[in-house]
Amino acid sequence: MNLITLKNKNAQEVASLLDIKERNSLVEMFSTLGLPHKMTEEYHYFDVKKLLDVEYKTLNYVPKSIEEGDKIEIVDGVVTKAPKGLRVYSEVSENVDMEHFDALYYLGHLLSPRVIKIEVDGDTHVEILHKYTQSDALIHYRVEISNQANRHVTMYENFETEEIKNTLVLYGYDMNIAQDSTLRMVRLQTMSGNAYSMVSSHKITVAKNASVVLKNFDFGGDQALQVLKVELGEHAHVDAGHLLYLNDDSKRGTASQIIHRGEHSTSKQVAKNILDGQARGIFDALIRVEKTAKFTKAEQNSKSILLHKKAYMASKPQLEIYIDELEASHGATTGQLDEKQLFYLQSRGISHLEARKILVIAFANTLIETVKDTRHQERIKNAFEEVFYASNKG
Amino acid sequence: MSTVMKIENLEAKIGDKQILKGLNLELEPGKVHAIMGPNGAGKSTLSKAIVGHYDIEVLGGDITFKGKSILEMEPEERALEGIFLSFQHPVEIPGVNNAYFLRTALNAKRKHQGKEELNAAEFLREMKSHLADLGMKSDMISRSLNEGFSGGEKKRNEILQMLILEPEVIILDEIDSGLDIDALRQVSEGINKMKDGKRTFLVITHYSRILDYIEPDYIHVLKDGKVIKTAGAELVPYLEEHGYDGIKED
Repeated sequence: MNLITLKNKNAQEVASLLDIKERNSLVEMFSTLGLPHKMTEEYHYFDVKKLLDVEYKTLNYVPKSIEEGDKIEIVDGVVTKAPKGLRVYSEVSENVDMEHFDALYYLGHLLSPRVIKIEVDGDTHVEILHKYTQSDALIHYRVEISNQANRHVTMYENFETEEIKNTLVLYGYDMNIAQDSTLRMVRLQTMSGNAYSMVSSHKITVAKNASVVLKNFDFGGDQALQVLKVELGEHAHVDAGHLLYLNDDSKRGTASQIIHRGEHSTSKQVAKNILDGQARGIFDALIRVEKTAKFTKAEQNSKSILLHKKAYMASKPQLEIYIDELEASHGATTGQLDEKQLFYLQSRGISHLEARKILVIAFANTLIETVKDTRHQERIKNAFEEVFYASNKG
Repeated sequence: MSTVMKIENLEAKIGDKQILKGLNLELEPGKVHAIMGPNGAGKSTLSKAIVGHYDIEVLGGDITFKGKSILEMEPEERALEGIFLSFQHPVEIPGVNNAYFLRTALNAKRKHQGKEELNAAEFLREMKSHLADLGMKSDMISRSLNEGFSGGEKKRNEILQMLILEPEVIILDEIDSGLDIDALRQVSEGINKMKDGKRTFLVITHYSRILDYIEPDYIHVLKDGKVIKTAGAELVPYLEEHGYDGIKED
């Protein structure tokens, strides 16, 4: 399959090319938004054409019997393992946002009408491991997560590959965070060596008095874009932290929309970006405050460090506000490591490479240390150090 | 006189301005050398040149440490060899835990010396007595490096590093600036604790106040990028009375 064939096609043509006989409203949404290209705002800094204009191998998504395991394992888009007591199953989804801004959100739903549903009961920790084993493949799947009211869930999302190359992964979550509940999602993704590229397109709905905490740790190379839409109800809260450490000629980042719909809703979005080599980081983030969202508090900040003269950061924090009764702030800074600080560390016998690492870690630490579980905090630090040392060999 | 460090005809500039203009100085092992001089004489430039600061471009001359030129060495190599600068204005580094920094620096030194690195518990044991001696609260090492420290706390933290790293040549750049009497006494006690007849001190100062606490063996007067006079401690009262203008070049 070559996705570029969907370019500039009307709904009927899209339905025919994808061999879809139902779900007309989704086809309409996809063809109205159109296949993303360079001028599509959220894909402007991301080389999406390079990913779409490729002949990919298509896979068969046959649900397997799910073995018991200590985590949820999704291999090439199919669930293979899940912890006992957790409801994980595959079903045709009716829960699709009909106002999403991302065409690939709809393409994902069109390609994957059956979604992986995860129902989390009680206060718990869940790990989701995504494994990719196929080269030159288009791997597409969608995951729907729901929790219960008044419950607190932490999810750790990790990625693994076998020795693969040139695969494209399209996946994403539709999350419904129930009233008075909390969901924390800690996502760690290290990519390298052209194994796979990814566009993940999510929709998160946060109900009244609920809270979602999203911590993304994206390290290494390759191409990946996280497209995120969050809708906040009354007194709902989102705390989104994005840490990027990129090297080589990677292009990765986040394009997001946080929409305040309910009164007294609050959002905090912090991005810390460290760009090495010829990497390009993306933080294209909009916070929109609707007329219904009086007394909103919204805070958005992006800080970037460029470790190489060819590195580039596209930081675009934006506020779109339709009311007066709110508190909102946003800002973005980009700079280099501080020479005085580097020298101070070196003057105590610490090597230039180690001093750079200490300062970069210090910059990143404020986000890494927001992960409460010290074991996972350590895991993230180790993943960071592994990538940092690989691209900064003495 | 045996020398641990020899500075010969050193010329150096910062930006477009030449500051050091043929400076000669020899440091005797185990002695306290005080460098005094008016503003702009080149005192801080000299200290920066010794530790390899990025601001400084050496135009000519040489600095040898234990018989070996150090001009081509990186700042960290000079530090590992045993040269230490206590900064006039120590930089703040938010996010870098002070204890982690101190242990990293100590372990870099130990590794250089072929010794085993210390784990966190061993390191903290090592620290305890130093903290007490310097009147430092134990929470200071769990804070970010120098962040939000008062002037006195920053200088104490510099001396703490000196005590831990045990360098051979110690440059104290305006160590007394920003210190009240009590802090000055504690900092001086920390410095005097290091005086063992082997370590060499280069005390850079505007004023003679610090020399009441750290007794110098030699006074070198620096003016217009050169050492113009070298004498014993008896020069201090003369300088207080007559100022630098009263000094005639040797």
